[in-house]
Amino acid sequence: MLNDIITPQARYFADGMQSVMRGHENRTRRVSLLKGNLVQNIRMESRGISARVTKNGYYGFSSVASYTEEDARMVLKAATENALFLDRKAGKTRKGYPALPGGTVPVNRLIVDFEQKKIIDACKEVDAYIAKTYPDLLSRSVTYTEDSQDKIILTSDAASGHVTYPRCYMYIRMTALATLTGSPVEVTEILGGAGSFEDNFGDLSPVYPAVDALYLQLMDKKEGVYAEAGNKTVILGGKMSGMLAHEAVGHTVEADLVMGGSVAGPCLHKQVASELVTLIDYAHTALGETVPLPVYLDDEGTLAKDAVLIQDGILVGYMNSRESAEYFGMEPCGNARAWDFNDEPLIRMRNTAILPGKSSLEEMIESIDDGYYLVNTSNGQADVTGEFMFGVSMGYEIKKGKLGRAILDTTVSGIAFDMLKTADMISDTLSWESSGFCGKKQRMPVGLAGPDIRCKITIGGR
Amino acid sequence: MSELREIAARVRAVLESKAVKEYSFELKKTEKKELNTENTTFSLFRTVFDDSISVHVLMDGRVGLSSGSDLSGEGIEKTVENAVSGALSGVADAANTIAEKQEEETFVSGPQEADMDRFYDRLSELLETVEKDFPKIKVLQMIADHTRTHSLYANSNGTLFESCDGLYSVMMEYAGNDGGKTTGLSYGGASTHDLEKPFIELGSFWKNLEDAVASLSQTSFEGKFEGTVIFTPECLRRFLFMLSGNYLSDAVIIDGTSRWLDKVGEKVASELVTFSLKASDERLVETEPYTDDGLKAENVMVLEKGVLKNQLLSLYAANKTSRPVTRNSSRAMVMEPGETPLKNMIASVKRGLIVGGFSGGHPGVSGDFSGVAKNSFYIEDGKIQGAVSETMINGNLEKVFQNVTAVSKEVSMDGASVMPYLATEGIVISGK
Repeated sequence: MLNDIITPQARYFADGMQSVMRGHENRTRRVSLLKGNLVQNIRMESRGISARVTKNGYYGFSSVASYTEEDARMVLKAATENALFLDRKAGKTRKGYPALPGGTVPVNRLIVDFEQKKIIDACKEVDAYIAKTYPDLLSRSVTYTEDSQDKIILTSDAASGHVTYPRCYMYIRMTALATLTGSPVEVTEILGGAGSFEDNFGDLSPVYPAVDALYLQLMDKKEGVYAEAGNKTVILGGKMSGMLAHEAVGHTVEADLVMGGSVAGPCLHKQVASELVTLIDYAHTALGETVPLPVYLDDEGTLAKDAVLIQDGILVGYMNSRESAEYFGMEPCGNARAWDFNDEPLIRMRNTAILPGKSSLEEMIESIDDGYYLVNTSNGQADVTGEFMFGVSMGYEIKKGKLGRAILDTTVSGIAFDMLKTADMISDTLSWESSGFCGKKQRMPVGLAGPDIRCKITIGGR
Repeated sequence: MSELREIAARVRAVLESKAVKEYSFELKKTEKKELNTENTTFSLFRTVFDDSISVHVLMDGRVGLSSGSDLSGEGIEKTVENAVSGALSGVADAANTIAEKQEEETFVSGPQEADMDRFYDRLSELLETVEKDFPKIKVLQMIADHTRTHSLYANSNGTLFESCDGLYSVMMEYAGNDGGKTTGLSYGGASTHDLEKPFIELGSFWKNLEDAVASLSQTSFEGKFEGTVIFTPECLRRFLFMLSGNYLSDAVIIDGTSRWLDKVGEKVASELVTFSLKASDERLVETEPYTDDGLKAENVMVLEKGVLKNQLLSLYAANKTSRPVTRNSSRAMVMEPGETPLKNMIASVKRGLIVGGFSGGHPGVSGDFSGVAKNSFYIEDGKIQGAVSETMINGNLEKVFQNVTAVSKEVSMDGASVMPYLATEGIVISGK
């Protein structure tokens, strides 16, 4: 954990400028076994200090990959010079942003480090189980990833604090040959969540049933068929609808993209989804429980709170930085976050979820005569028009109200606000996923969640 | 002696104090000066001083890899310790080796100091050109930097490489926007060693801006058909990355799932396809002096007239599978141009698309892909009918490069790669 050499730097903050200083350490651990071969065995750490200084609406930023009080003063000076350079070159003032309530956020959890041997042994144990139990696999891999952020944030005109974000996961992948095509097909399961190795994998016994379930999925997919292309009635499983919440809607309501012309700009206070749909970017607590990646303080010194984006189908807000919140007349909720010590805060999602409804998955399946249940996604992308694409890595046909054959990898696409208007049944469950990184100049760990949603969507089959 | 050589001596001393006999390490000091705009206003100026150390140790066939950002004595000690503890807990594998001894060499390229006033003025000129000549373009952001990187690689076999590189880069994110309608996002980028030319003249800036404006005029078609796709240079580069990952990379060769597992020397693609990775090429500025494994980089032919010449293997994967190592780990890709002018390629398409971007995940090991065609135009009877949205393309990576009908004379050179347009048939195209 970082020792606090940042707080004493407050006395060097210049009058007439808005300043933020951040001490920041990231750690990454990665172990990967491919068919039993140890192909990755990595420990990475980065630590440094950054400063951002705002003068007449222009931001100067600087960072250094070391951690002393002298370095802190150096980056503060460099950031100030950069703000002055832009102010001089531009020759006119930009609109700034007001001060926020102060306060100090204490450390919310500790970052605990474990020996690489312990991690490797756990991966070997899981790999040995797979190799012994399922010798007929074409290929298999077990990959452990862990990353953590440790930040001390000091501001001249907002809150300050010491916050941490540890998380770790085990990715299990299996490959077999598809009967239909003779080509390899694969399935992946991701286990883990916030916290340390011990929190998530101190006891490996829950891993083995997940491996067994994954193998059954692989056997289904091995006999899979191509999905039929076209606009279909589907049930998006929780992982798929979480991806939808993040990629297809979340990005379009990030205020910087709204200012850049996103489709959400003209839609504020208008209906953009079925009235069954409510979408919230949670800060730290959702439905009475701590979310997978809780955020208490962002990197501009804003105390984090939930950002309600869609309420009963109406677009009601954006995610903001301090500057964009002032521009739109909204309240900043703590969405400005930076990945590494040398990164500036950008508007990022935190734990973005579509809220559960009242239907059961069983009745949703029974309601479909000819469609698909799309269970798992491998990736997703969207742009400012709300046009999105998700890879579907696991799914099933629905025929006459019953689950049918598995389908081979495919893709679904659509326009988010059009597609969400077709949502007519939403399940009473919520499925969280938090292993991914969102990419937007910098990477950023994000949580996303959704219920099962019945809707119409375009499938790109054969 | 350079500062990095002094630090290298300290790293060696720490490694030797821990009785590590086989090792390699890389040290880097980077200074980046980066200008960011919000829309068309410069709003953020960053100066970033980064250091990095990565240490790779090999102990009785067991490998440990550690990296950090602290080049102080304490940071070096910790990074080496992490690597050693990783190796001690690793799995012995005879395929783990250190690069052979090579002659010491220093590589210098590009401007070592940034001329920020001139850089700022060139970037302002780019924004002014877009504003004047493309009034229907809305710039979301521009990120431009000068980065100076000083790096040093050394290993226990006596190899030492030192590199000093300076590079200007610019990336612009924009969309067509006529007030009421917005197109999907487009990106333009280029990198250069000098500021002699306006940025608008580099890469495909001008053509891609024209395409973004043209995308405001939408057309559509219903149903699906099998047709011809012309990939733009930017999209072709993406497909070559996917091809490399799916059929030629470490993981798929080690686990034996590559469809081109034993195809070196065989014709696997159209004879119109000649594709290589470059270590030196006057058209490129983003090349690597040495590989991730510490081998001096060379030009590597991957596909020559459709014949597979080399797979893309690290030292470990090469040892593991008894195949030759690839002496290039970069993304400095060159696809050789063809004979056909772009306008003739378009004129010869009965029904198909020009695809400027692909929004889809990395295909599975089979190479089957399915995704949204972004920044794309519908062609019928040899004529562009208009831009399309909500249009998907489905196909197979291997077949894309087997069913090539033409490669353009025109190429895009953005400093990172040289790419033509490529036409291929047999792609399933689905409309609304």
